[in-house]
Amino acid sequence: MTLLTTPPSPTDASPGAPAPAALARGLVKVYGRGSTEVRALDGADVTIPAGRLTAVMGPSGSGKSTLMHAMAGLDHVDEGSIRLGDTEVTALSERQRTLLRRERLGFVFQAFNLVPSLTAEENITLPLRLAGRSADRTWLAELVATLGLGDRLTHRPSELSGGQQQRVAVARALVTRPEIVFADEPTGNLDSRHGHALLAFLQRAARELGQTVVMVTHDPTAASFADRVVFLADGRVAGELTDPTVPTVLARMAGLEQPAPRAEV
Amino acid sequence: MWHLTLRDVVAHRARFALTLLAVVLAVTFVSGSLLLTDTSDHLLDEQFGTAAAGVDLTVRDAAVFGAAMGVEVDRDPLGPDVVDRVRSVEAVDQVMPVAEGQGLLEVDGEAVVPSGASVLTSWAPEPFGAFAVREGRAPAAAGEVVLDVATATAAGVGVGDTVAVLTDLRTDLEVVGLAGFGDADGLPGATIAMVTLDDAQRMLELGDGVSELRVTAADGASVPDVLAAVRQALGDDYDVATAQDTAAASADAAKEQLGSLGLVLTAMSAAAVLVGGLLIANTFAIVTSQRRRELALLRAAGATSGQVTRAVLGEAVLIGVLGGVLGAALGVLAAGGLRSVMAAFGLPLPEGVTVVSASSVVVSVVLGLVVTVVSAVGAARRAARVAPVEALRASVDLAGGRTSPSRARRALRGVPLALGLAGVAAVVAGAPVMVLVPAAVATVVGLALLGPVLMPSLARLVGAPLLRTGVTGHLARESAARAPRRTTSTAMALALGLALIAFMTVVATSLREGMTGTYRETVTADLVVESARAEMLGGLSTDVAHHVGELPEVAAMSRLRYGHWLDGGQTSALSAIDPATLAEVTDLDMVAGSLDALADGGVVVAASVAEERGLEVGDTVTMTFSYTGDQRLPVVGVLDSVDAQALSTGWFVSLDTYAAHFTEDLDASVFVRAADGVPADEVRAAVEGVLADHPTAAVRDQAAAAEARGATVDQVLGLVTVLLVLTVVIALLGITNTLALSVAERTREIGLLRAVGGTRRQIGAMVRSEAVLVAAIAGALGLALGVGLGAATVTALGRSAPLAIALPAGRLAVVLVVAVVAGLVAGLAPSRRAARMDVLQAIATH
Repeated sequence: MTLLTTPPSPTDASPGAPAPAALARGLVKVYGRGSTEVRALDGADVTIPAGRLTAVMGPSGSGKSTLMHAMAGLDHVDEGSIRLGDTEVTALSERQRTLLRRERLGFVFQAFNLVPSLTAEENITLPLRLAGRSADRTWLAELVATLGLGDRLTHRPSELSGGQQQRVAVARALVTRPEIVFADEPTGNLDSRHGHALLAFLQRAARELGQTVVMVTHDPTAASFADRVVFLADGRVAGELTDPTVPTVLARMAGLEQPAPRAEV
Repeated sequence: MWHLTLRDVVAHRARFALTLLAVVLAVTFVSGSLLLTDTSDHLLDEQFGTAAAGVDLTVRDAAVFGAAMGVEVDRDPLGPDVVDRVRSVEAVDQVMPVAEGQGLLEVDGEAVVPSGASVLTSWAPEPFGAFAVREGRAPAAAGEVVLDVATATAAGVGVGDTVAVLTDLRTDLEVVGLAGFGDADGLPGATIAMVTLDDAQRMLELGDGVSELRVTAADGASVPDVLAAVRQALGDDYDVATAQDTAAASADAAKEQLGSLGLVLTAMSAAAVLVGGLLIANTFAIVTSQRRRELALLRAAGATSGQVTRAVLGEAVLIGVLGGVLGAALGVLAAGGLRSVMAAFGLPLPEGVTVVSASSVVVSVVLGLVVTVVSAVGAARRAARVAPVEALRASVDLAGGRTSPSRARRALRGVPLALGLAGVAAVVAGAPVMVLVPAAVATVVGLALLGPVLMPSLARLVGAPLLRTGVTGHLARESAARAPRRTTSTAMALALGLALIAFMTVVATSLREGMTGTYRETVTADLVVESARAEMLGGLSTDVAHHVGELPEVAAMSRLRYGHWLDGGQTSALSAIDPATLAEVTDLDMVAGSLDALADGGVVVAASVAEERGLEVGDTVTMTFSYTGDQRLPVVGVLDSVDAQALSTGWFVSLDTYAAHFTEDLDASVFVRAADGVPADEVRAAVEGVLADHPTAAVRDQAAAAEARGATVDQVLGLVTVLLVLTVVIALLGITNTLALSVAERTREIGLLRAVGGTRRQIGAMVRSEAVLVAAIAGALGLALGVGLGAATVTALGRSAPLAIALPAGRLAVVLVVAVVAGLVAGLAPSRRAARMDVLQAIATH
């Protein structure tokens, strides 16, 4: 199981690594007005280093999903700047954001990742076909082999297990060789065995291929697969952790869950 | 459960709006048709009733039957002695003799040709006539005329102007007054010229005879007593009746003419209701499958399956009643619209305020209710089968695609289609044409049953070209193929409408080709003179033949006229010909006997009639004529069926025999053969020259005359097509509705597509592609069904009449193209909705 056919970027995790894949500065997102006002993002500053698996964690309502949706061009922010490479995402039109998602980003959702009427292979190549491009057959074959989907390509989602469905989703997210893959609770619906396999694959994609991955999760075990964890609370970054382990993540989360004033790192 | 039902309908009003619209449209059509028929009947009753209002009795010459096929028979005039004999009856107060006939009005040298009759009548003051002078005065002296206000206004004629009235004579008359008919300005579709009795008798060449007597009873005398007294005084040679009975008989005759229109409207309404029903059933099925979880929750909370059924049916009742009431109300507008459509196709109905009868309203509302509830029964039963445990399941199969039926059930579902196709095949092979009706029903039901089984393949086949449009087309095709039940019922509704259009087109075109073809083969005349008006028996004065026959440019001339008779109580028609000259202008093949033998007073029958009745030359048939009653005529010949069809009937007598048994004296066609060496346009100019005083006589060459045979068929086809378009519109609403529901159902999928880079335009294109695909499937099914049944019908009819299948490829292609384009239009709203869907909300939807 090797992914070395494609030229990977340097993969050592030492500091002083290359320019960040994405930069978010001063993000503010407000829902509702007056007494019902909720500040989902309240001045969040996040840096996503290239070629790493970054986990975003936080209690419910901390704004982690909103952050991901904003950075992925799925949602607007009210204030702030999001740079993806040279592109200022907040300045893009609806259509430009759609094309950005298609050309430069990949997505893995918690559930309902696949179009039911398409086969596994058609689902994998969906972003390419939406762009009217044909797949790089070598790259596709390699993804399929690595993810163990070889004998499942002509099956429809309803004929696949939950783990297989998520692996198809991961293959789809990687097939365009996007700058960033966004994964929203990718293992939320999987048992631990399948969940670990999927996380291990995302980890390898980052380490061996230099694939930038941003994963939103509330599961400390999932977060422990990341190179780095960014903690969010009340719409702001409340700290980060490099080379996380389950105990360190749990400890940090415990601090965040306290309703009291925000814990400073 | 009622409050729940109500709340559900209110909460999902968008989802039910289109269903309601479908019910409303179907009911509107039915209600409009009913109201229009009611109103026409009412107006005719009123019109004839008004005319008879002040009169107690009418006296006319006796007739064995008063009207046939909606045409009142001509009667001999009454001599002056009759007037005296009626006057001498003690209980009679006054007698008003009236002379009435046809007189074409001419203003400034231009004929005024109404859609109905051109009436010339003697002035009958109130109470004997319903016309009252509104301006000027009644005609008092020779050369004076009063016109109805409506005609005068339309023609721009006023008191003091001079007009001409053409009977067999031309008479210039001074307009001395304008008259209204009761409250109305005139009679619908007619021009009325009223002159003195002397003028009318002279212009109509009645001598001192009159058409009818209008009688009032003396004060204190009862009408039945006077009737009996007058009958006794006159004997059996005269038809004495109460004015009410006479008016009712005339109204009935007029109604009979409209009866076929009523039939067309009823048939088209039924089609609209059927298609509407399919649409309703489809909507309820989709909505119920989308609500499975909610229904399961209700069941889990303790609702019985009966309560769930009633909740769904309750919605149907609500929508049915609402749609029925709205449709009944809109029917008032639709009645006017339908009348305009009829008029546009040259089929005018009496005009007046729409009469809203309670029965029409009740029928419409009940129909809306029944159709909606019956259509919802299937969905309600499926709803009742939702198990409570489904509420607990994580995912519910929303696509409505349940496990495919077992092999045995699938085979069982094929039975109706097999029976239907077998029926069609049997008809083609020789079974009676009426077998086609149940066969067609079985085929349609069979297709609807088998649709879900066949649809995946059919959708992928018809949708193959969509693959070229990329992934959106691919997704559209799969969406249609993977919801076979939904696609089938949506497509079937449209397919039915298109099938009816295709069926009518094939049958009508074949009929027209058959009629024009046989005419072209049989009639060899260079020119044919016919009335340009739509009189059933033709409307040429005998002068036309007389003038034409005298022309030196004409080598031969032969006349054809028609008459009604009773064949054992059934109204039938015959053609009267001149055996001496007909062969000069036609190419007739006798199967037996000879045409010449007609000169001795017998009858020639068509071969098809001879076969059907087992008649041979030498047999005798009894024919009942209005004028002379039962007559026994010998069969003297059998004419080839094709030739008989060209001459329009299956029974032929000589003009002399006709004259002996009919009072009518009008020709239908005058066939002309040009003298050798005279150019066609010269003959034509000569014929047109001598017909200057017969502005309604149309001179046609043989080809144009042949085409004119098809005019009625085209007229009916046009009308039926326009009416069927409404059915198609209802079916298109079905596509819009189904797609809107399908888009709502696929919110997550659309959100996902948008998230991974599908543009709004691509999502819109995907939904529109599916709409076009469904329409194309419907087009293919509809055309196959319609053309197949049409061809079978023509084949069956072709056994008794010369008829070949004609497939108007151009017209059928237009039907298909229109269907597909309409499908695109139907997909616009749902595609816009899908394209505008908010990505985040779509992803977040469960």
